[in-house]
Amino acid sequence: MIAIAALTLGALSGGAAYENARPRTGVWREIAWPFPRDGWPAGRAFRCGAASCGDEIEVYVRPKIGFCNCDSGVADDDEVDRVADLDLMSPRFVPLKAGDVVRVADMPGRLRSYDLKMPTGVQHAAVGIAVSRRCDLLVAVAQGTGEAPRVQQVALEFLASADMTRWMTAAMDGR
Amino acid sequence: MGGRVNWAVFLSISVFVFASGAHAQSQVIGAPPEASNMKLVGTNDLQARSAYQPTIHHQGDRWIAYIGHHGGSDDNPDPVNPQTGKAEPNGTSIVDVTDPAQPKYLRHIPGQEGKYESGGAQMVRICDGKDLPKGDPNAVYLLRTFGSEAHEIWNVADPANPVLITRIAGLKDTHKNWWECSTGIAFLVSGAPDWRTRRMTQVYDLSDPAHPTKIRDFGLPGQEPGSTGAVPTELHGPISTGPAGNRVYFGYGTNKGGFVQIVDRDKLINGPKEPTPDNLRYPEISRLAMSALNGAHTTFPMQGMPIAEFARDKDGKTRDIVMIVDEAILNECGEPRQMVWFADVTVENRPMMISSYTVPEASGNFCERGGRFGSHSSNESMAPVFYKKMAFIAFFNAGIRALDIRDPYHPKEVGYFIPSITAATDKRCVTIDGKDRCKVAIQTNNVETDARGYIYIVDRANTGMHILELTGTARAAAGLP
Repeated sequence: MIAIAALTLGALSGGAAYENARPRTGVWREIAWPFPRDGWPAGRAFRCGAASCGDEIEVYVRPKIGFCNCDSGVADDDEVDRVADLDLMSPRFVPLKAGDVVRVADMPGRLRSYDLKMPTGVQHAAVGIAVSRRCDLLVAVAQGTGEAPRVQQVALEFLASADMTRWMTAAMDGR
Repeated sequence: MGGRVNWAVFLSISVFVFASGAHAQSQVIGAPPEASNMKLVGTNDLQARSAYQPTIHHQGDRWIAYIGHHGGSDDNPDPVNPQTGKAEPNGTSIVDVTDPAQPKYLRHIPGQEGKYESGGAQMVRICDGKDLPKGDPNAVYLLRTFGSEAHEIWNVADPANPVLITRIAGLKDTHKNWWECSTGIAFLVSGAPDWRTRRMTQVYDLSDPAHPTKIRDFGLPGQEPGSTGAVPTELHGPISTGPAGNRVYFGYGTNKGGFVQIVDRDKLINGPKEPTPDNLRYPEISRLAMSALNGAHTTFPMQGMPIAEFARDKDGKTRDIVMIVDEAILNECGEPRQMVWFADVTVENRPMMISSYTVPEASGNFCERGGRFGSHSSNESMAPVFYKKMAFIAFFNAGIRALDIRDPYHPKEVGYFIPSITAATDKRCVTIDGKDRCKVAIQTNNVETDARGYIYIVDRANTGMHILELTGTARAAAGLP
């Protein structure tokens, strides 16, 4: 189990109150949300260096309130393709295989692994995650230079931490 | 003298403040409707079913309103139909509005079991058999969605006794269709099982409603089966100008990442049909991107509008205009404002947004009233009585808004009507510290007009249908007697 860290580098985009909850120290450090404004408020971004995670891995997480089928939730892999914010990094991504069910912060959904061709032309591994509660989504995407299974394992462990779970739950409540 | 004037001013201000305060408070049962230049003519409770699309049809010597419904609510998933005494999943209400002061509820056709967006039969369009190239001239055809899984066609020649003709099934997320009565071409909004988007277009020939013929699937490159990478924004609904106008205006992105796609109708129908990226691009003329903060629910075309201000210009006296209506999704202003936009698409490969309209929030403290505040949809009738002159915008808890659009560069609100809530009006909730906090407010969801000049508004929160007419300066602006 990887220890969880958070350096409060601040510089977070957006002003939602939920952004005040920050995970504690470890191998992960919080970085500024690296993407331009889009239809959703900015989320939180974290980086784990190669020394701690084997390869450098980044995770981006945010709620998307009112963006989910209230009854069926995250129904299929196509929905993960659509909503999981992979397109923030690059429009060019190819799934490696069918996705799997997942549970994050006690919310059910799906995850899927991808080959992601970055704008620089470098190939990265990425994992898209979309979970839902009622009509709301929480999405996370992890990307790194290592193998997809490793990126997935590291990202899921990070998201399963108590601090992240607490923050994600609060974010879905609009806090 | 001066003292009297001061007292008069004080009293005037007091009355104004009191009236404004009353206007700003949450709605209560028994309070009168709020209105300006619009008057209530008649109502029907629609069996307290959450309402989406109304379509008003002149049928022989009668006027019939067909209203699509969302699925039921958590509290009442299958309201009881008083005519049958049975609990029925929300479907389609059929109401005789020949006398708009005394609407008569004729029939409820049950829809798909399921709550909210997952059930019911939201969409409804009507064509006379005599107008369809291969229709039964004695029939009147109702095209509706069946929940999210199918499209259905019914014969409603006798509106009290509809007969199912056909069903196109095996779909998902069916929604806001368009049907050309003169050709039978239908642009059905569906989710085809193998496409990567929730909603795209299936073009059908429904000229013989008993024998639907599929023409093609259509969407944006990246949505088609087998594609990879980013998936473009999903469709909400199209409106076609038919063979004469030869354009279809598609609205994408209900409340986010919206854009209007202008499509050559002839190329769409007769062009190569295999859903390859090149074939999907072939009929597209242009796109008008909106802010990522807004989406396109309704794209209402008004080709060849004469613009009075430009009357003496040697070129550009008339303009092709598209009115774009966003849909507010979240309760109590939980998202960027969704509103109305006007685009000048005269030069089709350089469409440009020219104006916008929203209800001023402070005019009713609408962010605090409960439920959604923002636009949802417009009337879609192109009957001459209002076409290119007045537009009616459903604005959820701000009711219906009448806009003078004769100069679309400067649209102007000339009237409004916010119905009273009733015991049937459903609550709307937001989450505060993990708990639901609910309020009851009107949620005017959709609107349609008829050729006589009546305005029909329906409520998402189960308050039924209100039939209105313009009065005062709004009536004069529309050129009505």
